[in-house]
Amino acid sequence: MIFLFVALPLVVAGLLPLIGKISKKVLPDILANGVFLVLLAYAVIVGKSLISRGAIVQQLVWLGEPVNIHMALDGFSLFMLFTVSLVGLCVGLYSINYMEHYGDKATYYALLLIMLAGMNGLLLVTDLFQVYLFLEVAAIASYALVAYGLGHDELEASFKYLMLSAVASAFIVAGIVIIYGLTGSLSFESVAAGLRALDARFIVGVCTAFFVFGFGLKAALIPFHAWLPDAHPSAPAPISAMLSGLLIKVSGIYALTRIFLSVLGLTPALSTILMYLGVISLVVAAFLALGQKDIKRMLAYSSISQVGYIVLAIGLGTPLGILGGLFHLLNHALAKSLLFLNSGSIQMSTGTRNLDEMGGLAKRMPWTAATSLVGSLSIAGVPPLNGFWSKLIIVIALIQAHHWVFALIAILTSVLTLWYYLLIQRRAFFGRLNERWREVREAPLWMTLATVILGLLCIAFGIFFSLIVRFWIEPARDALTAGVQALLTSRGM
Amino acid sequence: MTLQIGLLCGLVVFSAAAILIRDILKAAICLAMASLLLGILFFVMKAPYVGAFEISVVAGLVTVLFIVTIALTRAEGDVRESKLATWGFPLFFIVFLAIDLLVMKALIGKIPTLTSGAEAGTFGDALWKGRTFDLVAQIGVIFAGVFAVLALFRKRSKDE
Amino acid sequence: MSSTWLIYMAFAAILVFVGLYGLLSQRNLIKLFIGIEIISKGISLALVSTGFVRRSIFTAQALTITFIVVEVCVVATALAIIINIYRHTKSLDIRKLAKLKG
Repeated sequence: MIFLFVALPLVVAGLLPLIGKISKKVLPDILANGVFLVLLAYAVIVGKSLISRGAIVQQLVWLGEPVNIHMALDGFSLFMLFTVSLVGLCVGLYSINYMEHYGDKATYYALLLIMLAGMNGLLLVTDLFQVYLFLEVAAIASYALVAYGLGHDELEASFKYLMLSAVASAFIVAGIVIIYGLTGSLSFESVAAGLRALDARFIVGVCTAFFVFGFGLKAALIPFHAWLPDAHPSAPAPISAMLSGLLIKVSGIYALTRIFLSVLGLTPALSTILMYLGVISLVVAAFLALGQKDIKRMLAYSSISQVGYIVLAIGLGTPLGILGGLFHLLNHALAKSLLFLNSGSIQMSTGTRNLDEMGGLAKRMPWTAATSLVGSLSIAGVPPLNGFWSKLIIVIALIQAHHWVFALIAILTSVLTLWYYLLIQRRAFFGRLNERWREVREAPLWMTLATVILGLLCIAFGIFFSLIVRFWIEPARDALTAGVQALLTSRGM
Repeated sequence: MTLQIGLLCGLVVFSAAAILIRDILKAAICLAMASLLLGILFFVMKAPYVGAFEISVVAGLVTVLFIVTIALTRAEGDVRESKLATWGFPLFFIVFLAIDLLVMKALIGKIPTLTSGAEAGTFGDALWKGRTFDLVAQIGVIFAGVFAVLALFRKRSKDE
Repeated sequence: MSSTWLIYMAFAAILVFVGLYGLLSQRNLIKLFIGIEIISKGISLALVSTGFVRRSIFTAQALTITFIVVEVCVVATALAIIINIYRHTKSLDIRKLAKLKG
């Protein structure tokens, strides 16, 4: 019953205030992490068998009556569900310790689970309007979670995030309304069929522009990125990990990819636009990350840069490009959330996020230093970690499609990324131990456990990359290219 | 059609007033008036359910929320709005209006649409049977809003 | 038929423009949010008029009602944030919120 992915988090979230009254710490922790664990197991075990023979559409049956709730599961959705549950579980474990001093853990977990329900719902719907709805569910939860600390910076960042995100959502609905006006339907298949029958290229172009603006803002592509460098650093560290690692990918990249590849069709013009947006984000954000003193701000700009990579690869549209993009999505989710969680550990132990003030922390926080190193090398694309393989695939895909300049830019930016990540590592962790941190302690159990799990996954996914690609990424890619093929052949290309 | 056009123009006038009027309370009232006109317009368009919903929820509940917020945030000395913005509005508005009308005029007859059959059933069918999953999403959004407000107004004991 | 739709969409576009103008020009946080509200009105108008023109007024009403519910939840969250900002800075001026540089 794939409805579980949406229902379980919502039900538990609804019960959490009552449970929070009974037990302030233990029960909410267990319940929230339990939800993540159950969904992860479900995705891996049951999900795989459900789609073994192709995509399925499940209709919910309530008390013997069929209800008009259709949820579709194919390789791409299952892959995203797996990523979301995996990173979510680690974030949940981390929150056990980290959210202690923020107060009211039950409400925090409730919001986290609502965000999860929204993301899962987005991944499973078959209807354009419902994409918007579940996107908003996750977004509203994220506005509150960014502002959770109730400090000046958090509130300012959350307000700006809310304003920009609300405008983006409005444009997304505008695009949906126009498509509804043209085709009279909202479900993916009907719209795809309807748009194929019509020849309304100008209007569809307008809709595409609206969607690129709306979903591009959610994915934080340049020039729609302005909210992210404030929101991700100000949020509590586990929420920064959720936002950078998951939300911008689910509400931005997944929605964009699903709508453009399976419904509207990836025309050459659109492919070019996406590739340029991707490469601009890739380069500009990498440079902007260079000058940052605040470690979380630097990580935030780096997220924009890596999202640029993913959009560049998916915009390319070739099977290998999509494969590389999706694999990089998974790898970045793992590595970036790892790095954000570690920045939270540093902030909790030392009280600062300023790189100038840190130094030599490896002596006092060995686990954090080690996992940080793994995460940094993964994002920079150093073999044999996972990031190396996904970046390599993307570069090969670009070369195969004769986009020499893009490939060169991708490689050079990778080198730049490697350079400044190693710089950060050296300044924060290695070198002489700053006097102030003589008494600093390593992060508590659950926080360290969560980051170690993520670090091990980065290593494992790197060494066993062919297994991961074959088991998860290829079915996702096949589900997408099937959609692309169908639309390309019908347009007579 | 003239009634609809009249209501639409009133809607635009009150919306612009809500933006341009200095006093925030009067601006909120203008927003409520705009919602009222939109609700009436919905009734005229034979959409009574959303008309009633718009009036009771947007013109009612949201306006109350705004007024409560305004009451809670009575600043000492109101925010000075830019004079340029207020006086510049008519110019930008007319420019946009011109572009808008020209574009729409150019599109007349050029938009192919698929015709679909007449809608069967009642409104209840459309909502409960046609858009059932939307209701699940509504529950999610309401949860999100409630928990957001709970989180943002929680009692803070020892943190910052 | 098609021109009726375009008239309604033209007005919806005007509303979105007014809302965006508000977002770009106003300094009071609450006024900024009123801008978002006006944009939402434009979108609900577009939704209902599309249903009206396509003779699927029931589906359009269901969609619009759901859209309004979402809007209300966003309003509640945003106003909660604004009240909290006021408690911190005692002002509703967006220029006072310039600590972070985006």
